[in-house]
Amino acid sequence: MKAAGTERLRAAWRSVVRSLLILATCILGQGCRQQEDAFPPNKVFAKRLELQQGVSVESAHKEVQLLLRALFGTPNQPRWPAAIAAADGQTPQSLVSLTRLERAAGAVRSNEEGVHWGLYREHCVACHGVAGNGLGPAAALLNPYPRDFQMGVFKWKRTPRGEKPTRDDLHRVLVRGVPGTAMPSFLHVDREDREALVDYTIYLAVRGEYERRLLQWAVTEVDWEGGEHLLPRQLLDAASGGEGAVAVESLDDELLRPLQQILQQWRRAEEDPLLLAVGDAPLPFSQDQEKALLSGAELFQGTVVGCAFCHGPDGKGAAQVNNFDDWTRDYTVMAGINPLDAEQLAPLLEAGALKPRPAMPRNLTWGIYRGGDELVDLMARITHGIDGTPMPSAPLQPQNPQGLNVEQLGDLVRFVRSLAGRDQGAGKGDWEPERGSMP
Amino acid sequence: MTECQPAAKDVAGPAAASAGPKIIHRLAVGLTVVVFPLIWVGGLVTTYDAGMAVPDWPTTYGWNMFAYPLSTWLSGPFDLMVEHSHRLLGSMAGLVAIALLIVAYRYDGRPWFVGWCVLLLLAVIAQGILGGVRVLFDERVIAKVHGCVGPAFFAMAAVTATMASSWWRRGAWQQVATGAGGRKRTVAVISSVLLAIVFLQLVLGAQLRHLTGWETHRQFTALTHAHLGTAGLLAVGVVVVALLAWLLGVERSVRRPAMALVGLVLVQLALGGGTWIVNYALPWQELNKMLASYTIHAKGFVESLIITAHMATGSLILAVTAVTVARAWRCRWVALRGSP
Repeated sequence: MKAAGTERLRAAWRSVVRSLLILATCILGQGCRQQEDAFPPNKVFAKRLELQQGVSVESAHKEVQLLLRALFGTPNQPRWPAAIAAADGQTPQSLVSLTRLERAAGAVRSNEEGVHWGLYREHCVACHGVAGNGLGPAAALLNPYPRDFQMGVFKWKRTPRGEKPTRDDLHRVLVRGVPGTAMPSFLHVDREDREALVDYTIYLAVRGEYERRLLQWAVTEVDWEGGEHLLPRQLLDAASGGEGAVAVESLDDELLRPLQQILQQWRRAEEDPLLLAVGDAPLPFSQDQEKALLSGAELFQGTVVGCAFCHGPDGKGAAQVNNFDDWTRDYTVMAGINPLDAEQLAPLLEAGALKPRPAMPRNLTWGIYRGGDELVDLMARITHGIDGTPMPSAPLQPQNPQGLNVEQLGDLVRFVRSLAGRDQGAGKGDWEPERGSMP
Repeated sequence: MTECQPAAKDVAGPAAASAGPKIIHRLAVGLTVVVFPLIWVGGLVTTYDAGMAVPDWPTTYGWNMFAYPLSTWLSGPFDLMVEHSHRLLGSMAGLVAIALLIVAYRYDGRPWFVGWCVLLLLAVIAQGILGGVRVLFDERVIAKVHGCVGPAFFAMAAVTATMASSWWRRGAWQQVATGAGGRKRTVAVISSVLLAIVFLQLVLGAQLRHLTGWETHRQFTALTHAHLGTAGLLAVGVVVVALLAWLLGVERSVRRPAMALVGLVLVQLALGGGTWIVNYALPWQELNKMLASYTIHAKGFVESLIITAHMATGSLILAVTAVTVARAWRCRWVALRGSP
């Protein structure tokens, strides 16, 4: 007992000394440090691969950064690999506009009255970080942690689980904000500026996801010890100069395929109306309110949907606390690391990862829904689940004969709202999606 | 008890009996009064990230700063109005500092005071140049320095007003003559240490406020903890100074600002908590329904007001502490001197 106490004291002392050293470095060194115009590499994912594969990822990491810089540019001068989108038979600028990217990138500045540039650094960087990795300066002190865009996974959207969000989804989060968290509402910011932020978010997400896939491929498929490289020699020379975009035709298909897949996913969310079919459908509530609430309660407590397993029978959200979201699982469970084991976690925390926190189910009795409180939002939560979290999508008929039919879905939504004492019924009109009605 | 009388050179110069000292005092107070809103508007500049809303300096979008169209300034974009107002207020502070130096040189017989006024003018010029350089080089590190020098200048202006007051010239002698506290240097020493802590706290706050995005979360966390720790130290320090000032029977002119500091620090602690909530939300926000339902509004009026008030109150605490220190040491000096 005494030894354990002494060890704890020593650990606390080491922590204090380390904090003081960091503080001194921060105050003394920060002012003099010139900021490099480069995206910080994904060190956490690289460390995970290193632990997973048992090999050094340094060479792969270096070449991946060179290619990313050549394709996507830098935080001050972003590029959009439009040629790749064009090669894929798509309009090059359909997903992201380079003009808007340039508005969002770089330092905060104005060139004429009322026109803002550097919007990402003005509004987002303190939490989401320069590379959109969710490791901004303030990240460790926030709960929940800021979103890491680099996995290409977003929670608050109306597309099915596993699909990318639409631009409207991202814009809606910017307008509404996320209550109870550090994510603000940007209602007071010009719509044009918000659109630029949406473009930049997609840009960071595409870039970050491509970095992950490329690095994984480079580590597992390239024989580094045998002298192989990810990039051809002439590209290595060109890319290391950092000048000019890489000619797409000179790149191996193998290198570009992950990027094309990612871009296709983003485009599908935007262009395939079927993905939004659930949100478009009117919800036929049961006419009998009492019956509907009873039916909803049964479904909530039952095993088909299983809401009560996590949210608790009373909906207060205290039933299940030993689960982690995908952003945490990515550098822990996926690498065979127990998120609660400090010793195993140490190298990843050293690489910049945040201390894992369990994913907490929502207390539904407060009626505060982070993903939006419109009926269509609740319906999307239940039918699609919440990407990246333990919240699953509910089984639905006709795909699953045991699943919910549309009327039961309506009853469940009504019951969930009744937990917070919110309206006990709603008309069909509430289900009309307000496309294009965002401010 | 020894009767304390002011030395002739402490009282005034050749025109001691004239209106000179009054004008000097009024100008010094005027400077302080101008600088406080300047601090507020400067705080708004940072809150709204409006530092680069005007890309040129000393001109404003090519216009002479003083000739910039009123209509665009007042009814144009908010960030432009804030930044341009900050520049105009800064210029006004500079003009008042020049006037103060001229009047002090003409009417004040204390060479050290004239020297101080020269220093004050140099400080306001340096601060203006820092602001300009921050714009021209778009450099956040300079913005941090600019953000720390501003409150320091405000404190200097407040101390100048104290040194130009009739209390400094005569009142201190009278107070010390009738009290015993002035002889004790405890309050003077501890309040001086407190002044250093307050300034350190402002420096830490400036680091947290002027983020570039390249800081690591470990650095930010260490800075935040240091800011919180220093706030605790400062709160204790303020209470200690106030208690000592009261228990030791220190002169009223020292006791009053020391007591005021306690109130200011209480307000500041509340504003600090509010600033965190409207910037980042509390980590345990889910424990309370009201906090859990609160959505931060980027550039929102209430949010901006709270954040800026936190910064301005910090500057006010620095200025009041500086006045306390100046008065405490003045009493000590007068008490030791005993007689002219």
